Amino acid sequence: MTQSTSESVTKPKAGGHGTPPQAGHDEHADHGHGHGDGPHLAHHFDTYQQQFDAGKLGIWLFLLTEVLFFSGLFCAYTVYRAQHPEVFVYAHYFLNTNMGALNTCVLLISSLTAAWAVRNAQLAQKGLLIFNIVITIACAFTFMTVKYFEYAHKFHDGLLPGPNFHPTEQVWELDSFKQKHPEAAEFAEMLSKRAEARAKGTAAEKEAPLITQRPTEEQIEPLMKAGLIGPNSEEPMGISRPRNAHVFFSIYFFMTGLHGIHVIGGIIVWAWLLKRAVRGEFGPKYFGPIDYAALYWHLVDLVWIYLFPLLYLIH
Amino acid sequence: MANEETPKTEATSDLESGADPKAPAAVEAAKVAPEHDATAPNDKLEPTRQDEGPDSDPAPGADDDHGHGHGGHGADDHDHGLAHTMPVWMLVAVLGALMVLTVLTVSVTRFDLGSEGNLVVAMVIATVKAGLVVTFFMHLYWDKKFHLVLFLTAVLFVILFLSMSLTDRGEYQTNIDWYQSVSTANTK
Repeated sequence: MTQSTSESVTKPKAGGHGTPPQAGHDEHADHGHGHGDGPHLAHHFDTYQQQFDAGKLGIWLFLLTEVLFFSGLFCAYTVYRAQHPEVFVYAHYFLNTNMGALNTCVLLISSLTAAWAVRNAQLAQKGLLIFNIVITIACAFTFMTVKYFEYAHKFHDGLLPGPNFHPTEQVWELDSFKQKHPEAAEFAEMLSKRAEARAKGTAAEKEAPLITQRPTEEQIEPLMKAGLIGPNSEEPMGISRPRNAHVFFSIYFFMTGLHGIHVIGGIIVWAWLLKRAVRGEFGPKYFGPIDYAALYWHLVDLVWIYLFPLLYLIH
Repeated sequence: MANEETPKTEATSDLESGADPKAPAAVEAAKVAPEHDATAPNDKLEPTRQDEGPDSDPAPGADDDHGHGHGGHGADDHDHGLAHTMPVWMLVAVLGALMVLTVLTVSVTRFDLGSEGNLVVAMVIATVKAGLVVTFFMHLYWDKKFHLVLFLTAVLFVILFLSMSLTDRGEYQTNIDWYQSVSTANTK
């Protein structure tokens, strides 16, 4: 940096070490180039500190773009939920909170091991570094496996975005709904039976049990809030699901899908770093790649920290 | 903040005595021990920081820049103190706090806190968790302040983006209602 003016502009400078840089060397593999500062100092940096700071600034700028990238989907979520809360209330009964919570814990643990790996790299603890990277990758795979089961379940139940949305189960038949609102589930069952009978014709309608009593608040309110009955229902006169319920699943699959792609990207990066860690490339002077990957991994965790309550814990 | 100066000098002297990576244990001891000393009088360090959240970062971060707060070039001999090293106990404590908050955010859904209440509580807990991750796991507490500024810029933009979008979300509702009434009328 200090001597940059005295050196040729066309050649990459080797910093203040007085020896000319060699052409065509690799920033990681070359051990013999000019300045003798070690194998992992790229020729265009003066010092390890400068190299590390440049990389760190780079990864933070990248994370900034990532936050903005995800914010588009969060915006879609926010606006749609503000406009149509009933769709979210309806759809959340289909999501498995336990699976979401499990995945949250898995990602948090992997965040710990990633942060720990940074420490290991800084202190040249090779064995622990390898161990922590392996655990991080294992957690990432666990996360994706749980995600796979969740997705498979939704595909099976017809909970797909857009025109492919054909749910095979009514929301009041779900255990998650019955446990929370037993009276409402019963009442919904009655309503739907009557609606079925009405559709079959007058004879069947006469045989169906009549709803004689005025429904209570506990029976009606959960159904209204989930948009099953009332003005937001697909069938305002009967009982059905809220209009445009499929939009939730578009949002769900896009948000979790984009997040999942980031997890897969993280697995690839960690696998590459595992290979380099086994080679013993990281130490007190050169741990940037581990640090940057960990920062990225924490951001992926951060996105999930918001996704989990927004998608799984709708009240 | 007087205590925080200790790690800096420790790290520097440690560099001079043994700049080789062959003595990681010494490096670790030199770096970690002052951390413990600085925080030992306050066993409840974790909860208090958690309460403060990310907003409290700038002030301590300013004084605590010992990894690379030397103007960048002046401390180039400082090679193995490139950045702050997190002590293991702190990492584990942060994970513990995150787990507790996860359990809390799940269990709080059993209570009905009004139409907005549950969402607000869930978002507050998520933000505290995010603050913990950013402050400790992502080292922003010790990192350059500029990185904090970058991150907060992104957060600020997201807040602006979402709130602006929310303000005119109902702007086209009359058009939608009109369109729906026309299309249902046509199908009849």
